[in-house]
Amino acid sequence: MDMETRDLADGVGLLALGGRLNMVSAPGVKAAIDELIGGGRPRVVVDLSSVSFMDSSGLGALVAGLKRARQAQGDLRISGANEQVLTVLRLTNLDRVLRPRDTVEEAGRDW
Amino acid sequence: MTGEYRMDGLAVPESLEQLHELLERVRRDHPDVDETALMMFETAVVEIHGNVIRHGRPRGKVSYEFRLEVQDDRLRAHLTTDDDEVPDLSHLHGLEPADPMAESGRGLWLAEAMLDELRYARSGNHNIWTMVKLLDSVSGDAGRP
Repeated sequence: MDMETRDLADGVGLLALGGRLNMVSAPGVKAAIDELIGGGRPRVVVDLSSVSFMDSSGLGALVAGLKRARQAQGDLRISGANEQVLTVLRLTNLDRVLRPRDTVEEAGRDW
Repeated sequence: MTGEYRMDGLAVPESLEQLHELLERVRRDHPDVDETALMMFETAVVEIHGNVIRHGRPRGKVSYEFRLEVQDDRLRAHLTTDDDEVPDLSHLHGLEPADPMAESGRGLWLAEAMLDELRYARSGNHNIWTMVKLLDSVSGDAGRP
């Protein structure tokens, strides 16, 4: 899986992912989110616009990241999810918690 | 539009990629199959295969055979493994994970939600999973169960 991090704003980090978010790539994604939060960016946007597929392990990594962000008085938002990712979120009811946004720009404002 | 596909090997993380490639082949060979149905089927198949990789024993040494049939009205797959363990089925048959913020334990539940039929059987020292997605059962937005 491709991963890239950068600052979106003060205290806001972006993690852009590409490829399949599954049991192979999930531990690395979780670690990248932890690193952003540990590095003083408790608000994290995970851009999923180049993610083609997500399984329950990938979902677990996002939930872990969300919990970690909230422990640090921050939050985690996702953007750009495709239909497969949205279906996984809907069926698990986690769309109500992770509340997917269309774009990074939308996810990155009004925290 | 019928077709049959087969793959086998050791249930290790690398085999997930091969499974995705097989599903891509199905997608290319059968452009008439509803994409939402195929996407939900692929998600379920990958979850079940991932469950075998994660929980199968002895770890890394479980052999599997995967067969997939494209029929006029359904997609059907059988995953047979020579697994020492009987899987934990506590999240099958509608039992949603208790903790909405759990970081794991959703795989089987999610697979079942994506399918019209998910069956497990133990035969000798083999675990046999049967997965069915009906091709006329897909709602427009793949809504909640």
